[in-house]
Amino acid sequence: MSIASIAERVRDGGRIDGREALQLYTGASTALLGRLADGIRARRHPSGVVTYIIDRNVNYTNVCVARCNFCAFYRPVGSAEGYVLGFDELFRKIDETRAVGGNQLLLQGGHNPDLPLEWYEDLFSAVKARYPDFRLHALSPPEILHLSRLSQEPVAEVVRRLVAAGLDSVPGGGAEILVDRVRRELNCYSKATADEWLSVMRHVHEAGLRSTATMMYGSVDTPAERVEHLCRLRDLQDETGGFTAFITWSYQPANTELAGVEATGIDYLRTLALSRIVLDNFDNLQASWVTQGGKVGQLSLAFGANDMGSVMIEENVVRAAGAEYCMDEAEIVRNIEDAGFVPKRRNMTYDIVGDPLFRRRAIPRRTALAVARPAGDTSVPDELSRYPARSRPGREQRAASGPRPA
Amino acid sequence: MHDDLAAVLDKVEAGETLDEGDWRALTGGHDLIALGMAADGARRRRHGDRATFVQVVPVPVDAPALAEPVAADAGELRLTGRPETPSAAVAAVRALAVRADGAPVTGFAYGDLEALCGHDAARLGDLLVELREAGLARLTSLAADAPNPETVVAVLGGSGLGVSGLTLGGAAGDDARRLLQRVGSWDGVGGVCRALAPLSPVEASPPATGYADLRQVALARLLVDNIDSIQVDWSRHGPKLAQVALTFGADDVDAVPAAASPDQGWRRSPREEIRRNITAAGFVPVPRNGRFEALQS
Repeated sequence: MSIASIAERVRDGGRIDGREALQLYTGASTALLGRLADGIRARRHPSGVVTYIIDRNVNYTNVCVARCNFCAFYRPVGSAEGYVLGFDELFRKIDETRAVGGNQLLLQGGHNPDLPLEWYEDLFSAVKARYPDFRLHALSPPEILHLSRLSQEPVAEVVRRLVAAGLDSVPGGGAEILVDRVRRELNCYSKATADEWLSVMRHVHEAGLRSTATMMYGSVDTPAERVEHLCRLRDLQDETGGFTAFITWSYQPANTELAGVEATGIDYLRTLALSRIVLDNFDNLQASWVTQGGKVGQLSLAFGANDMGSVMIEENVVRAAGAEYCMDEAEIVRNIEDAGFVPKRRNMTYDIVGDPLFRRRAIPRRTALAVARPAGDTSVPDELSRYPARSRPGREQRAASGPRPA
Repeated sequence: MHDDLAAVLDKVEAGETLDEGDWRALTGGHDLIALGMAADGARRRRHGDRATFVQVVPVPVDAPALAEPVAADAGELRLTGRPETPSAAVAAVRALAVRADGAPVTGFAYGDLEALCGHDAARLGDLLVELREAGLARLTSLAADAPNPETVVAVLGGSGLGVSGLTLGGAAGDDARRLLQRVGSWDGVGGVCRALAPLSPVEASPPATGYADLRQVALARLLVDNIDSIQVDWSRHGPKLAQVALTFGADDVDAVPAAASPDQGWRRSPREEIRRNITAAGFVPVPRNGRFEALQS
């Protein structure tokens, strides 16, 4: 089939298969891809609203046994640079988030063998007791799978317990590319295979939770594998309808074991546009300004995105890999309006919650994202001593900090 | 695409005069891709699928010595900064030219030299000849709002010294539009000025948006047909925006570093990086030197 006829089907609102998507991705001009994606965006969001959320990306621990070779954030068990945030630290971050109008944490972290399921349950319960309306968008599928393995509980039971403790929704992290050849090369096959990632999401959706989906491209993947990833997400969305949004970003190579180079800006815009075309059952696509910068982030709005993502406040993972862009609410709104759209604040389920907040009340401008912890802070939260550690360094550390209460 | 924008783009392609409504459709609309497609068409008619780039070694004018041998990929040694006196400018060119190892030496803003010569056209003409004889291949920049445009062309033409890039300074929006109109009707400017650099050489506050930058690049290509190239700056505007600008009417990338900087050690060499970006944008990369001569790949 010719590119023109595939494009015509997309314009008519038809679905294209993986082979046609690959043909479009590798053969269509960037302008054509953008035009098709923008057309779909305009049909799905005819009001011209572009949304964003005020929340905070918090990484509760950087200790991780997964050892993905594309990750610059993790530290191995026993590392002097490893940390676990204490409940009080997390409460302070929530207070700061609420002060600038946020009502959600995006909470993710490493696969820390010394944090049992009960730690998460206690944390979520404590947050909900203290901040009943505050939302927890937390724990990507590989983290949930890690907790299932650690606790020897089925995924469905882990999800049930986390929801009972206060989990509201699940971020789509850890998907990378949902093709096992790629996952083996990235050393992330063992943390979750493609089927396992999708299976956890199926459990999450069956439990009544909504989630996002993501794709990190540009490491060792091929264009065909990116298309396969998108098709697998589309299939699950057909089945459950549980995904609220899709976010794609390019692999950030600085300080990683895998190294290499980052995909280009054009690669990003083409991939985003293709995602909008293939994911015809997803309502929302986010712009990844945190990896692409503000300018290409804004251009995303011409290539299929209808959401500028999160004000974020804090970010640790892609910063560790070299990306240090920052946009506060005023800057996000300026970019949305400059592109001809109407900015609205939203929540995780994409309900509109209001107009730009900084126009209603004074909010200090922010030029840099916060970090999980100040450099050199190696403090160990007191409450950790209440939980059993699984690793030898963890057990030694907890023994040194005193006996656990009965 | 909105019908009014399509009609205006037809008028632009036909070289017709634009009225106020046309301008509003061009500069105030938000159909960025339509604007980019029109600019890309104009760019391809002029340059095909070639995209040129130059790798530059910057050298401060007050210390015109090279700490290291000229990098093999260098296409240009560029004196940066404002010379204190005309003789300092000539001395800097002489000092650098003898070490240039064949790479063209460029430098100086036309306006700076004009000020050093007391805005005396005759003195400026003599200085430009002296600089050329000392080894200067081109001036670096000329402001699009330079007074007395006919004199500028005459002085440059008489000296035999061209300018690499005509700049809009930090002009944006209506100011940029007026300058682009001025450039478009500037007789003879294309004979002395090889490229138009439409984006600001310094970051504004708040910074220009991606839409604003690309709209300015596209308008530059659509409205200025008397200058051959539309140029973006790799170092100043960053690889991502510079690359996307190539699909919105730009055809030349300036200021690619001649050698990798230590803080970019994880990247490929600058030449591989620019080649990769140009290729990914759908163009054929062509290295050039400071005289705009194509180099061997």
